[in-house]
Amino acid sequence: MDKMMNIRINGRQVRARSGQTVLEAAKAAGIDIPSLCNHPALTPHGACRICLVEIERQRTLQPACTFPVAEGMRIETESPKVVEERKFVLQMLFSERNHYCMFCEMSGDCELQALAYKYGLDHWTYQNPYPKIPVDGTRKYFIMDHNRCILCRRCIRACGELAANHTLGVKFRGAKTMISADMDIPFGDSSCVACGTCLQICPTGALIDRKSAYTGRQAQVERTKSVCMFCSVGCGTEIITRAGRVLRVEGEWEEHNKGVLCVAGRFEPVYTKRDRIQTPMIRKNGGMVAASWDEALDTIAERVKGTKGKKVGAWTTCKTLNLTMSEFVAVFRGKIGASVGVLEPTLSELELPSGGSLNDLLSADCILVIGSDPLVTHRVLGYHIKRARMKGAQLILVSNNSNEMAQFADKKFSRDELDKAIRICQNSASPVVIFGEGTNQKEAQKLAGLKRKAHFIPLFPATNGYHAKVLGLQAGLDVSGMEVVYLLLEDITLQEDLMKQARNAQFLVVHASYREPITEIADVVLPALLWSESEGSLYNLEGKKVPVRKAVPLPEGLIPENEVLTQLAARL
Amino acid sequence: MTKVKVAADWLAACAGCEMSLLDMDERLVQLLDRIELTSTPITDLKHPPKEGVTVGILSGAVNNTANIEVTKQMRERCKILIALGDCAVFGGIMTMRNFFDMNEALKRAYIETESTVDGIIPSSEEISKPVQAQPVNQVVKVDLHVPGCPPSADAIYYVLSELLEGRIPILTGDNLKYD
Repeated sequence: MDKMMNIRINGRQVRARSGQTVLEAAKAAGIDIPSLCNHPALTPHGACRICLVEIERQRTLQPACTFPVAEGMRIETESPKVVEERKFVLQMLFSERNHYCMFCEMSGDCELQALAYKYGLDHWTYQNPYPKIPVDGTRKYFIMDHNRCILCRRCIRACGELAANHTLGVKFRGAKTMISADMDIPFGDSSCVACGTCLQICPTGALIDRKSAYTGRQAQVERTKSVCMFCSVGCGTEIITRAGRVLRVEGEWEEHNKGVLCVAGRFEPVYTKRDRIQTPMIRKNGGMVAASWDEALDTIAERVKGTKGKKVGAWTTCKTLNLTMSEFVAVFRGKIGASVGVLEPTLSELELPSGGSLNDLLSADCILVIGSDPLVTHRVLGYHIKRARMKGAQLILVSNNSNEMAQFADKKFSRDELDKAIRICQNSASPVVIFGEGTNQKEAQKLAGLKRKAHFIPLFPATNGYHAKVLGLQAGLDVSGMEVVYLLLEDITLQEDLMKQARNAQFLVVHASYREPITEIADVVLPALLWSESEGSLYNLEGKKVPVRKAVPLPEGLIPENEVLTQLAARL
Repeated sequence: MTKVKVAADWLAACAGCEMSLLDMDERLVQLLDRIELTSTPITDLKHPPKEGVTVGILSGAVNNTANIEVTKQMRERCKILIALGDCAVFGGIMTMRNFFDMNEALKRAYIETESTVDGIIPSSEEISKPVQAQPVNQVVKVDLHVPGCPPSADAIYYVLSELLEGRIPILTGDNLKYD
């Protein structure tokens, strides 16, 4: 239990926890102290001096963001002296670089501008002969305009503390200080992994998203809380839209990913140029022809009804939402007795526990990674492993192949040496085992020895793998002996060998979002929704059910996958 | 009741601030009951009268030697000088030019412009010389700053009516804008 203490803020009696900063204590009591460099997700830094407050018996004003509370402390947050100094600090911030709001992308949403408004700054006391500073546009997804930078170092801390990537730092000193990447190389050539956390956390217009720049201010856009559907980490997101279009995706601070996303969740989905399937299609005279839902579903139903249940095979990607996956099983297995499976491994054959969380990772002292390369497939989890390592956790990698994690591993073992790795876990206080699809059953049996001690995090190869595992679905496509095959692919691309295998069926139905080689060779194609259009829930790899929310209206004529399945079932 | 004399002029400006002034609509007519606009860039008389005015309003950045003259003359002839708009207050968009060598900028503007054929850089003794773009308060003392690109009609009306009431206007809320 933290010790509670009594302090006074602006004459008001406030209870504060020992270890809290003045800023945190004030915030908890509903007293606003302005801040710029401070961010709840980051370690306090005290760079910007905007949060200066008057503390009794302190010789000078003190930054509230770094000053710890003490029993009996008396604090003034808006005294005339404080306000005067704060205005001075603002004037200094505005004097260093180009802070002309009228041609800035962030104008209206800028934290620096908001403070200038708050303190009634109507002109600059120190006229700004600001230096000509270059803009770094070498990164694909966002731009660094040093001219707008106030050197608050939020980006640097986000890069180091949240993404654990340590790309960003500063070069030079004083007014010449500059945010720089690695050993001062262009951002695009640096070790940056384009997670975009710095972009999201920047208080001014120094970091600008290329795609959504000038497309709408906070007051003009809508924000929809949802879940990233691009891997099983299932990061909390906010989808930012305007007039039914996705502008960008941001990480949700309140979820287990704590604001962090990766390039595959934040940027790639809004840049996709794949060809969308807009209507159902039926093969006629050797080509795919647009058809109505009724026509397409009737065609499928007729064919399915004319085939023995055993000769019908239905496979779905694990990427489907809970309801769709359950409906898929109910329709194909329940109603017609077809064989039903999922395309991606569900790790169920390993018979290992699950339920370990990203938080468990951060409090681990030993992390064993096996059969997976988290920094490639489950990047935000990979960043959390690196974060845990920064806090002193030991990273043990069991792998025979090259692995992105290798450079961060404290100990590397080949798969034959798994016993040694397990022994280290046994000797540690709070180990976490992270296992992926590369783990075999024999290894799993050995790992099972850690059941009582370790938290286990399964890296499902596809988003909703947890649900597929719970439903007990068989993994892997096997169409031998099947006359009718139904594939629910969502937005995934089927490997070529699987595609050829699927085409061996006499009748092939493909339910997918994008035109792909497989949709060209199918007999019936049904359009599926995208991540931003779906509404429902899925399970993340922690085993937690999380709500996926529709951020944009459905394109005309499109029907959610579960409803399509219901309509199909009604015809069978 | 004698009317309060107000003079306005512009420097390197786009006329956006003047548009905002006109946007006061019928409030402008009400104001004219109490003030006399002696001269503005958008009325017949352009220069503030020699005998002086109470309030002088300047929009635009100081951009050349003629702007400096206009600025100094206004300062001499008014009691309260208002810098109106981002250019007059901060220097505004014209300051982008400060990054370039002046000859380079002139060449780009008068010779290399895509629509220009056989261009020449004006060089008559009679015309002003360009200087570094700067806000009005770098040349003369400014009493009131009204930023905004342009400042809203409400902000301008607020400033003038407060002055008429004998108060110093303090811009807050929606009246204080930088864009």
